[in-house]
Amino acid sequence: MKLLVIMFFLSVSVAFAQKMEGEIIYEKVTSWPKLYGTLTYMSNEERDRIKQTWGDDESKQEMRLLFSGDKSFYTTSKHLDNDAGWSWNDKEYKIYRDMETEKRTDIIEMLGKIYIVEDSVRAPKWKIMNKIKEIGGYMCMMAVTEDTVKKQRITAWFADNIPLGVGPDLYGGLPGMILELDINDGIVVTTAKKIEMKPITEDINVPKKMKGRKINEQQYNTLVTNHVKDSFKARRAFFWAMPY
Amino acid sequence: MKKILLLLFSSLICLASYGQNTGRFTMKGIVADTAGAGLPEATVMLLLPKDSSLVNFGRTAKDGSFEFKNLRRISYLLKVSYVGYLPYQQNVTPNDGDVTNVGKLDMKFLNQDLYEVVIKTARAPLSIRGDTVEYDPRAFKVPPGSTVEDLIRKLPGMQVDADGNIKAQGEEVKRVTVDGKRFFGDDPKMATKNLPAEAINKVQVFNGKTEQSKVTGVDDGKREKTVNLELKDSHKKGGFGKAVAGVGTDSRVEGKVSYNRFDDKQQFAVLGFGNNTNQSGIARNDYQDFKGSQSFNWGDDGDFGFSGGIRYFGGEGDGITISPSYGSGSPGFTKNWAGGANYNYDTKKTKVSSSYFYNSTDAITDVMSSRDNFLNNSTFKSTDKNITKAFSGNHRPSFRLEKVLDSLNTIILISNSRINNGDSDYDSFQQYFRGGDTLSNRSTIDNSSLYNSFAMSNLLLYRHKFKKKGRNFAASVGYNINNSDGSSHLNSINEFFLDPSKNSSINQQNETESKRNQFKGSLSFIEPFAKKFYWETFYNFSLRKDEVDRNVFDVKDNDLLGNDFLTRYYTNDFTYNRLGSSVRYSNKGLNISLGLAAQQFDLKGKFGKDQTSTNFSYVDRSFFKVTPNVTLNYDLKQNRYLFMEYGLSVQEPTIADLQPVVDNSNPLNIVEGNPDLIPQSNHHVFAGYNMFNPASFTNLYVNVNYSYNVDQIVYNKTIDENLITTTKPMNISGGKNYGTYVYLGFPLKKTKVSMNVNAGINFRDNPIYINNVINKTKTDAYNFGARLDITPSDFFTLYTNANWNIADTRYSINTNQNQKVINSTYGADMNIKMPKEIYFNARFNYNSYVNNQFGFDQKQPILNLSVYKIVLKNKRGEVRLTANDVFKKNLGISQSATSNYYMETRTRTLSRYFMLSFTYNMRGMSASVKRSNY
Repeated sequence: MKLLVIMFFLSVSVAFAQKMEGEIIYEKVTSWPKLYGTLTYMSNEERDRIKQTWGDDESKQEMRLLFSGDKSFYTTSKHLDNDAGWSWNDKEYKIYRDMETEKRTDIIEMLGKIYIVEDSVRAPKWKIMNKIKEIGGYMCMMAVTEDTVKKQRITAWFADNIPLGVGPDLYGGLPGMILELDINDGIVVTTAKKIEMKPITEDINVPKKMKGRKINEQQYNTLVTNHVKDSFKARRAFFWAMPY
Repeated sequence: MKKILLLLFSSLICLASYGQNTGRFTMKGIVADTAGAGLPEATVMLLLPKDSSLVNFGRTAKDGSFEFKNLRRISYLLKVSYVGYLPYQQNVTPNDGDVTNVGKLDMKFLNQDLYEVVIKTARAPLSIRGDTVEYDPRAFKVPPGSTVEDLIRKLPGMQVDADGNIKAQGEEVKRVTVDGKRFFGDDPKMATKNLPAEAINKVQVFNGKTEQSKVTGVDDGKREKTVNLELKDSHKKGGFGKAVAGVGTDSRVEGKVSYNRFDDKQQFAVLGFGNNTNQSGIARNDYQDFKGSQSFNWGDDGDFGFSGGIRYFGGEGDGITISPSYGSGSPGFTKNWAGGANYNYDTKKTKVSSSYFYNSTDAITDVMSSRDNFLNNSTFKSTDKNITKAFSGNHRPSFRLEKVLDSLNTIILISNSRINNGDSDYDSFQQYFRGGDTLSNRSTIDNSSLYNSFAMSNLLLYRHKFKKKGRNFAASVGYNINNSDGSSHLNSINEFFLDPSKNSSINQQNETESKRNQFKGSLSFIEPFAKKFYWETFYNFSLRKDEVDRNVFDVKDNDLLGNDFLTRYYTNDFTYNRLGSSVRYSNKGLNISLGLAAQQFDLKGKFGKDQTSTNFSYVDRSFFKVTPNVTLNYDLKQNRYLFMEYGLSVQEPTIADLQPVVDNSNPLNIVEGNPDLIPQSNHHVFAGYNMFNPASFTNLYVNVNYSYNVDQIVYNKTIDENLITTTKPMNISGGKNYGTYVYLGFPLKKTKVSMNVNAGINFRDNPIYINNVINKTKTDAYNFGARLDITPSDFFTLYTNANWNIADTRYSINTNQNQKVINSTYGADMNIKMPKEIYFNARFNYNSYVNNQFGFDQKQPILNLSVYKIVLKNKRGEVRLTANDVFKKNLGISQSATSNYYMETRTRTLSRYFMLSFTYNMRGMSASVKRSNY
């Protein structure tokens, strides 16, 4: 029997004299030819054709992460490669974390519905690698893991001197803030562009009223797994219906 | 809020995993710098030594101490990180006691040079493994063609002297290895001076054992600086090719070769094919492989502003650039040859592409048609039996350059040409019957022609982005040429049995030279305001000059006598100006745009017998039109989408319709121009709604459309008592077209069986003149279709479809010609995968056409079968046997009915043949019974 017990000698925030508060602006870059390259039902010929025709065609989206004390809130911001200013409907994507109560609340629009995933925070099985690099003035260490649900290789670069174990998307559980997240070797790379320690005015508490279907982590994983499986069977690209 | 600091001395969060085994222990230690001072708030991580999995982490207390309690009694990898220090790691094996104290851990200061230069400036991941420092060469730009030595010169902490000796962190490098192996002897300069920098994936610097200790196997403890160069796996270079060859019955052959070569900047492709199986166009995939990164370039026409303006060049035969062909083969019998090469050079700053493509088609079209013509109060029948033999060859060179001058300025230069030559022979035997089977007249025609044409389109486009986001300026200038030069011989014998005095024979020679030049320009300026609004102002200009010189001669006893009636020389100057503006509101998925443009057409024509004529007639016309435009796109939540568009489009008369020249090349069907034509305009509204549920794969699409014609150019037919038809274009208003379409797709059993149904209704109201009387044709069309895709496994699939189309046509004159046509098609496509990589495909199409008015009831079943086997290593080959049109039912029959005639045409075309083909694909064949949706 395995049981994970969390022992608090003292919470992280206590360790710091002041409450950590600030905002991180990320740039999320999606490489479409690489993304299509993951569709295993396509032939080498079809994949090469996409690569040759579209080269390094990528789209850029700005993401925001707000944090204060033990709480954090991650969501979509504007489209960066949208010079013409067209507007489209961004899918709901609001990720709330409370590291004190170890609670996650994710409002995710996927499969044509808005889901609210409520559960306790569970960290993936991270491996800490021997690589360091600097992102936005912070020295970051490299950690890797695998998303067993979507079958993705995840590389995270975390800064251990921002001691809040959260980051882009649903990732966290490292000894510091994730400042860069790489899904499947460059298919989607989310990198911090601006890291500001400042008092935040926005409310980052989970809203009292939320519209959507409430599910837990287990149900969320089942939904994703089934959709990915069905899509591959039906030879459709699964990532149109949910965040990659 | 300040929290209590008192507890800091023992502060540590600790995530510990329980197991069932006993004998847990506590790990203690102190993190300190080299001087021995404790480092507070250092991150301490416990990893599993086998795969570096993170088990637990915490932070050191004020004095640098840390403690992990309740740990499983196994070995750990202890890792410590502290800002400004090299990450520290150590293996810890618990001792027998309850507490294992690892003592003081000395953190080494991270070399400031290294940190500042490598990590901060270059933003390069620097990898440190023990004493090995690893550099990523991609972060240190060296010019192409540089050696490794040039690269090392750029690496922080490394120096190269004039003789090529290398120093790392102040120490001389004794050895350079490549992928861990010695590179041509002991001289460390051999590798660094000879290897290209771009072949290197990583540069590693470490303290290696001395050669002495390696040889003796006794570690003498001495270390010497070693550089290891890791080579790239692949150099991002490659090539692939494909070849197909097939032979068939009925002397059918086809062949195709393609080859591509590329690296990270360049793409080179060749494509060639030849066949007599009516495949004249370039298949879509072949087109994309050929053009590579230049397959699709939007906005290359350089025309700015909303659509609805005039089309400048077009509808004049083959395009200037090559384009993928989507349809099935051409009718008749054709022999096709094509081939070309394409080269692309792509970098972020410069994109150059050039290609050349040649294609030729030799076509024989053997047509039999019969036609029932309805006059105001009588009918007559005509039959035509004709053969056309035509050759056409096209050379198409193309060039495109896109240069990003800086982050705000881009220029694009495009030049495409087409050099075309061709000839044709046309033989026709036409008969006209009155009141049943009474032959009234007869024509025997034998025409031939030869022509050359040259077309070229050049465009220079400039785009400027302003510092203010969303503010854009763009300008384009273009120069287009379309010249042709042709000569034709017209021979015909025309017999009129009711009035033999009208009998005639025509023997003419026609030499026509046509020159067309166009200069055009466009400007656009976009200004964002009030955050959600975008205001575009645009201007379009075009000046087109046409010059046509047609000389017609009557051939009498081998002498050429000028035919003054048909000989013409004319010029047309066509000027077009459009100034417009539109404002768009974009917010929360809603994009709504309102625009207005004023356009002015100026047409100047000069017509005479020839250039030297003293008796020119002139046309000088100006038209002014204001055109509105409204578009709406609304991206709603949960994959729902709403769109609407209203526009007024204006189209100027074509040059052929405007010229006051009588074309009597077919003496029974005389075509006349009309210099009084004015532009036709069309109001159109299109709106729709789209919904997709990605969870259930359900898809709904609905649209409605309405269009109304003003001054529509129609062809007025006047038929005289000798059944000679004269066609002349005229303007008419009132034609309209409206309808709706619904599509619904849903799975019956997810991933196994899916179905979609669609229905459409369309009402059309078409006015036309017949013998100067307006005849209105109303057509009500109802369409219903269904598809069922059965995809139970990777071994069997069946795709079926059915479509029913009912067209009810009523005429205001000749109401007894009102007709109802029912057209039904049924199709099935079955794929079976058999053992040993053998596949079977059957495609069946059944088409039924029933016309109640003419008692026409035709059924056409077409079955194509193929069986193929994947062969060779890596599935590189495919052997395929195809049976085309097994029942020999492809008779090339088509029917058409308009207000004043009903026509049935049979074109002799490719029917049953069998073909055996072999394909070799370097990347492997991709046989699959399932269709992809991506």
